[in-house]
Amino acid sequence: MAEFDVIVVGSGMSGGWVAKEMCEQGFKVAVIERGRSISPTEDYSDFINPWDVEHLNRKTAQDLEDYRIQSEVYAFQSYTRQFWVKDTEHPYETAEGTDFRWLRGYHEGGKSIMWARQSYRLSEIDFRANKTDGHGVDWPVRYDDLSPWYDYVERFAGISGSVEGLEILPDGIYQPPHDLTCAELDFRDRIEAEFPGRRVIPGRAANLTEPTQEQMDLGRGKCQARNHCFQGCSFGAYFSSNSATLPAARRTGNLTFISDRAVHKVIIEEATGKAAGVETVDTKTGERSRVTARVVFLNAGTIPSTMIMLNSASEQAPNGLGNSSGQLGRNLMDHHSGARGSAILPGHLDKHTFGRRPNGFYIPRFRNHTEEAEGFVRGYGYQGGAMRTSWWSAMDKKGIGDELKFDARTPGPWRISVVAFGEVLPNERNQIRLHPNKTDKWGFPIPILDAAWGENERNMVRQATRDTRAMLEAAGGIDIQTEDPETVEPAPPGIGIHEMGTARMGRDPSTSFLNKWNQSWDIPNLFITDGSFMSSGGCQNPSLTYMAFSARAANHAAELMKDGTI
Amino acid sequence: MRDFKLHRRQVFQGLIALSAVGGIAACSEQTNSSSDATADSAISSGLFDAADMALIAALSETLIPRTDTAGAIDAEVPDTLQALATDWGDEGFQSYWLTGLANLRTVLNERAGARFETLEHSQRGEVLSAYDRAVFDGDIEDGFYRDFKNTVIQAFYMSEPGATEALAYEPVPGEWIGCVPLSDYPKNWAT
Repeated sequence: MAEFDVIVVGSGMSGGWVAKEMCEQGFKVAVIERGRSISPTEDYSDFINPWDVEHLNRKTAQDLEDYRIQSEVYAFQSYTRQFWVKDTEHPYETAEGTDFRWLRGYHEGGKSIMWARQSYRLSEIDFRANKTDGHGVDWPVRYDDLSPWYDYVERFAGISGSVEGLEILPDGIYQPPHDLTCAELDFRDRIEAEFPGRRVIPGRAANLTEPTQEQMDLGRGKCQARNHCFQGCSFGAYFSSNSATLPAARRTGNLTFISDRAVHKVIIEEATGKAAGVETVDTKTGERSRVTARVVFLNAGTIPSTMIMLNSASEQAPNGLGNSSGQLGRNLMDHHSGARGSAILPGHLDKHTFGRRPNGFYIPRFRNHTEEAEGFVRGYGYQGGAMRTSWWSAMDKKGIGDELKFDARTPGPWRISVVAFGEVLPNERNQIRLHPNKTDKWGFPIPILDAAWGENERNMVRQATRDTRAMLEAAGGIDIQTEDPETVEPAPPGIGIHEMGTARMGRDPSTSFLNKWNQSWDIPNLFITDGSFMSSGGCQNPSLTYMAFSARAANHAAELMKDGTI
Repeated sequence: MRDFKLHRRQVFQGLIALSAVGGIAACSEQTNSSSDATADSAISSGLFDAADMALIAALSETLIPRTDTAGAIDAEVPDTLQALATDWGDEGFQSYWLTGLANLRTVLNERAGARFETLEHSQRGEVLSAYDRAVFDGDIEDGFYRDFKNTVIQAFYMSEPGATEALAYEPVPGEWIGCVPLSDYPKNWAT
């Protein structure tokens, strides 16, 4: 007799959703989290003032040593280091000639605490993309299969945004959007006039602008416009596992939360070939133990979930658990960035902003949609913002005394910044392998990440940079700054923090790892709903899609459990 | 805590006054680091000695003087720089700052024809303003001065008086409004 009905490995963006759905269906659920439990009062640093920040927020030598890779990310600060792994404790390697910046946090809630909260649906165009241009395998689902689940997760999570009626970026269930600034409204009008088919819309962010009763019942409140989100939010005003799904799971009484325990393997019952549970190691004591359940969901994050399955290889499955397709660990994707730009937008000097918006504007994909493209398939969307330059513009500038103080307190011109996030093609050569002999301090083989972007991504980032320039010019921008579009390279893999695709879903068990229900083709009671399942990545931030697939898969698994199929 | 802060501000105003009669500088010359126990205990201890701190205080307050809003000394900018150099800075940073400060002292004293920190506030302003102009017009190369000035600006506008008096600060705005009249919110936001 298994200890639990369901094991969920990992408590981040997707694991929280599986836990909530399964607990609400009446199942006994164990969430196994390799990191510590999070206590908002101890771990969140959202009430910090500028003068509370140590050493003028400069990174310490110790931070740069302990967090060599993590410290590069924008959300790593002296007051948020508690949310990022120490690179010295969690080593990985990259294949020769490749680069991968693996950014992550191991704790209750995972990256759902530090995420940038941008929440966009994939469209029918995205779900058809692989079939249309022949890269990767065809998604086994279409937009209509997901649409009700997007509705479902948006309603619960709370997404602020505007209804736009765009085919490329389907509308959802939204709370009121964050206003565009006056300069952004002007930018929008000029761009939409100059480039019919391009749209500048408020970003869609998982911040509560008009909380529902359901959200307030979970202790969540309205966004206070502090823009301290990646420090944790004591108001529970943005969606995280910690603020939303885990509290919902806990109030059912069906959740057992096991922290500080890393899962190394999925246990397979020889007689049935089904998953019987997982092998774990206590990350503090090194003690090993098993946890058993009827059904196992892997939600450890794309790379860790893939590592667990590779590490679960056996005589029956020599290339990794459930890997009869040979696709496990392959098709590692991210979103590439690199097409950045900035300019001063003249005018509106009698206007200002109030509050700190945890969001910006979004320009949905137009290449290979409303406009043709040369040299690449798929496309990119832009995120950006236009704000008045503030006190720091008094730096690197002549002037002392009254003049300096005047410069520092007087709002400068509006400066717009944009960056394109582009789709990365699924490519079997981009992969995760386990190191043949190096292990971490818990005896788990470390991964070797072997991914490099190709011509499609390079051509895309160059066109995106040309488009950036053209839009900044069309908007009347001055002091336009972009990379050289003829030589710009995409940012290295990992920087997008959207790693995905290494246990893809498909229509054919010989070419995909999961079926259309996020269920292993080989092991019917094993599901994966973190980013590993993504057959293609779109150019949209993927978390909302992970949420929708997680809720959908959990509800499907619950049906199978109820009718005794698994 | 508040009283302590007030006390510290008085100490820095006092340090400049003390320099004005040559006390610290003389002391510093004799021993190459201040042996004046009173002065040492009056300022935060660390990499910079009393003479350095007197110069830092004079420079900071000249860059960002108290006007109708707080100035650099009100905001304890010299202490922030002392802590930064002592606790955060590595050896390279520390020697860069010590050398940079020493050079700046020489250059400014030469231009002033006296010890910079002994000048009246308005005279310090004239000397530093001319030097600042020369550096930013490209007539003089002084990377340290640029770094020093940027650090003072950062230390001041991240401080409580800098953020809340010289700028506007809303810890919990409560809402976001994308377009408001500047006349309603004429100052830059601290964050």
